[in-house]
Amino acid sequence: MIDLLRWLRESLGRLLDKVDLPLMLALLCVMLISLVVLASAGGDNTRLVVSQAARFGIGLGAMVLVSRVTPAKLRLWTPVAYVVSLVLLALVFVFGSGRSANLWLDLGVFYLQPGELLKLSVPMMLAWYLHGVVLPPLWRTLAVAAAIIGLPVAMIIKQPDLGTGMLVAASGAFAIYLAGIAWWRIGLCAGLGLASLPAVWPFLLPHQRDRVVTFLNPESDPLGTGWNIIQSKIAIGSGGFSGKGWGQGSQAHLDFLPEHTTDFIFSVLSEEWGWLGVVTLLALYLFIVGRCMWLAVDARDGYSRILAGALAMTFSVYVIVNGGMVAGLLPVVGVPMPLLSFGGTSAVSLLVGFGMVMSVHAHRKFMG
Amino acid sequence: MRAPRRQKLKNANAEAEQFRRRAMLGFLGIMLAMLVLAGGYFRLQVLQHEEYQTRSEANRIKPRPIVPARGLIYDRSGRLLADNVPAYRLEIVPEQVRDLEATLTGLGKLVRLDPEEMERFRETRRATRGFRPIPLKLRLDEAELARLAVNRHRFPGVEVVPYLTRRYPYGMLFSHIIGYVGRVDVADIEAMGDNRNAALTHIGKAGIERFYEPRLRGEIGYEEIETNVEGRALGVLRRHDAKPGADLYLSVDARLQQAMADAFQGQDGAAVAVDPATGEILAMVSLPGYDPNLFINGISHADWQALQAPARPLFNRNVLGGFPPGSTIKPFMALAALEAGIRRPDDLTLSTGEYFLPGQKRGYRDWRAGGHGMTNLRESLAQSVNTYYFKVAVELGVDRVDAFFRRLGFGEPTGIDLSGEISGVRPSREWKRKQFNVQWYPGDTVNAGIGQGYWVTSPLQMAQATAMLANGGVRHRLHLVREVQAGFDQPRVPEPQPPGVRVVADDANLAAVNDGLVAAVHGPTGSARASGVGAPYLIAGKTGTVQRTSRQGQVAVDASKLPYHLRHQAWFIAFAPADNPTIALAVLVEHGGSGSRAAAPVARRILDAWLVPPPEDTAR
Repeated sequence: MIDLLRWLRESLGRLLDKVDLPLMLALLCVMLISLVVLASAGGDNTRLVVSQAARFGIGLGAMVLVSRVTPAKLRLWTPVAYVVSLVLLALVFVFGSGRSANLWLDLGVFYLQPGELLKLSVPMMLAWYLHGVVLPPLWRTLAVAAAIIGLPVAMIIKQPDLGTGMLVAASGAFAIYLAGIAWWRIGLCAGLGLASLPAVWPFLLPHQRDRVVTFLNPESDPLGTGWNIIQSKIAIGSGGFSGKGWGQGSQAHLDFLPEHTTDFIFSVLSEEWGWLGVVTLLALYLFIVGRCMWLAVDARDGYSRILAGALAMTFSVYVIVNGGMVAGLLPVVGVPMPLLSFGGTSAVSLLVGFGMVMSVHAHRKFMG
Repeated sequence: MRAPRRQKLKNANAEAEQFRRRAMLGFLGIMLAMLVLAGGYFRLQVLQHEEYQTRSEANRIKPRPIVPARGLIYDRSGRLLADNVPAYRLEIVPEQVRDLEATLTGLGKLVRLDPEEMERFRETRRATRGFRPIPLKLRLDEAELARLAVNRHRFPGVEVVPYLTRRYPYGMLFSHIIGYVGRVDVADIEAMGDNRNAALTHIGKAGIERFYEPRLRGEIGYEEIETNVEGRALGVLRRHDAKPGADLYLSVDARLQQAMADAFQGQDGAAVAVDPATGEILAMVSLPGYDPNLFINGISHADWQALQAPARPLFNRNVLGGFPPGSTIKPFMALAALEAGIRRPDDLTLSTGEYFLPGQKRGYRDWRAGGHGMTNLRESLAQSVNTYYFKVAVELGVDRVDAFFRRLGFGEPTGIDLSGEISGVRPSREWKRKQFNVQWYPGDTVNAGIGQGYWVTSPLQMAQATAMLANGGVRHRLHLVREVQAGFDQPRVPEPQPPGVRVVADDANLAAVNDGLVAAVHGPTGSARASGVGAPYLIAGKTGTVQRTSRQGQVAVDASKLPYHLRHQAWFIAFAPADNPTIALAVLVEHGGSGSRAAAPVARRILDAWLVPPPEDTAR
């Protein structure tokens, strides 16, 4: 009996030996907060909490497994992963399903959102490519990198899923940034990008244009497109310094707040937990990003570094875009609050990403 | 910090160093962004907390009005004149209806739905959120209720709702006193200002219902309801009780009112009976009337058309109608002469049949060809001698006439508690100049002496002046509401009235005039003697005939043979018993020929109703 227990402990220890404990603890904290907020936001619907907990469980399992895969193996399979995810993304156009946009593939057992896979496979592919070329990148390198990013991003935005497209593009851009692209090249690209914005406007879909207009002036249509933002700001502002208390958020519970379990869950937290809750969660997120960056810096090869760093920085984009959006500081794009919003694919892909970061760190000694 | 520009081989250490710098910089950038984010939340949650707190409360809490029962209206002995009765209305909650058109068609087979009701429903539908019930039909009858009860399951979202509706049990009889309530329209809501009143479905549109609207309505209370985003109520947080409307007790006596309406025997006209001691209206009719019940739930097109008849049933002649007073002005003109000291009761005036102003060829005639001979004050009133009053008016002069009649209340509203009362016209130099920009001629004074020319009076003004003759010379404000009861547990409180104003200096003058008025009814020469026959009490009265067409050449026309619209208007003013008056009366019969033949008999019937069966059942 004691032997059995010891065996269990040892095997568990072996299984978790590649896991970074500080990062793991911070992630568990965020997930716990997510479940508590969901228990309030979901109201009587406890199914949400159970289902989210299950997804977290799956995600954590995947994270532990991925943390055991060596970066070398990961790098070897990277081109395959990239191509497969692209193919799945293309399939969405044929077999996709979804409420307002075709984002989902029905795999019988569960729905898969190939866009989420790209959030991993694009930085992987870039790290793979940049690992093999001389850095810092020159124009030719940049052109190839742009193609690696551009193809999936264009497809995702066409679905249309502006939020995911933006995140994928950001993960690629961070990879290039971390690879050491010269500042003047960044400046030039940014300038060209800004200059081409007016040319992009006609290609935006009506609801995407609405979002921009609404962002610039939310009160222009208070019952239409501006409604979500106004109600979200009321929720956040009425929360005050210390919040209305768990389960006391009238904005969320009386349905004034839209999407209060998914994209706008941070508003619920702000309403019920106040500014203290907001700062606590932001601090946790900052710690997670910082820890990942630290682990990335510690890595020995270019592939590991760039992959871990890009994933960490992309994670922060989630937080800033979602946090800015629900407070009316940024336009509305469909970006969830990472590990807080209800939703399976996003949580799993994020945790798999953290598994990769952990793997990079755990296996640094065996790399050259 | 920039790496060498051209380099063939990868430099692992340099790359690692470069990455470290970039990662540090990146992390600093992220930290800065998070700080900005935290700052943004600080602004919303701490600096602007108050504002958003308020908006959150406003989101959450909606006031739901509680409409109190409207005050009831009683007559002076407690008979109910305006009642609230339970009724049922048909309502539709649009968002619960799958196919609105099919539902409306289906309901149309169970309930009679006018196109007007359908139109009203569709209009409201457009302006209302889907979860709010919209009334489709008010006051369902029993057959409709039964049919709906059986078929209710076929129509989800359709409900039969109980409510209180106004009812006027006496129908047409009190139409020009009580008025009616009608559906609130947009203009009403704007006029009321307070948006709590948006909950009202009905509002007083005419008569007492309109004049006393705020008191009859009471105060609308409200509940603070916690609502969700769709506005659906989740629970009551607080309750501010409604204050029920006040019950009004009118001075009107329903029995006398009925007798007064009957007394006209189908003729058009108006009559006002006043308690001379107080100015309380005892009865008041304007005929034809209308059924106020038609208006409560929206009058149909056909009913409305019927009310546009030439006789103008909607027109309240007592309040809005202006008529020349004719000879009914004579007692007041006599009083003016006595008070001014230019006549004593026994002074004689010669009536030759025609009166001439000095230097004028056109004569002013008596109604009897050849005149009445020598007449004193008494005979001048009994026989209605025009020449007597031509001379009185000329001797008084227009200015003194104007001043005296102003004291009596002519030319200004009596102040009755009904809306829109006219002032009438009390002719004067100033009035004529303003009106026509023409100077006053002596001939105008002559005409004014017998109540012709520019004079315009309402039946109310005549009744008020007559009551003054009856009560010893005091002018009271005429009024309909006697007592007000602010709630069923409250006492009935007399409605305060301004004190009466004494307008006659010498009682002897009043006695002399009243003596003439008794002679007009009971004297051998009295113009209304036919109406005084057999009366067990003394009547003081005066006839008046307003001629639309006076004469054709030298021949007096027979009024009863004139075309209807050109016939005379007949007046009779009276009070009785003359020695101790309990009622003062003004009767106007339109298209009625002479005052003595048309109006006096009507007045007699009204007085009989009041005085012959002693009014023991009335609370006096």
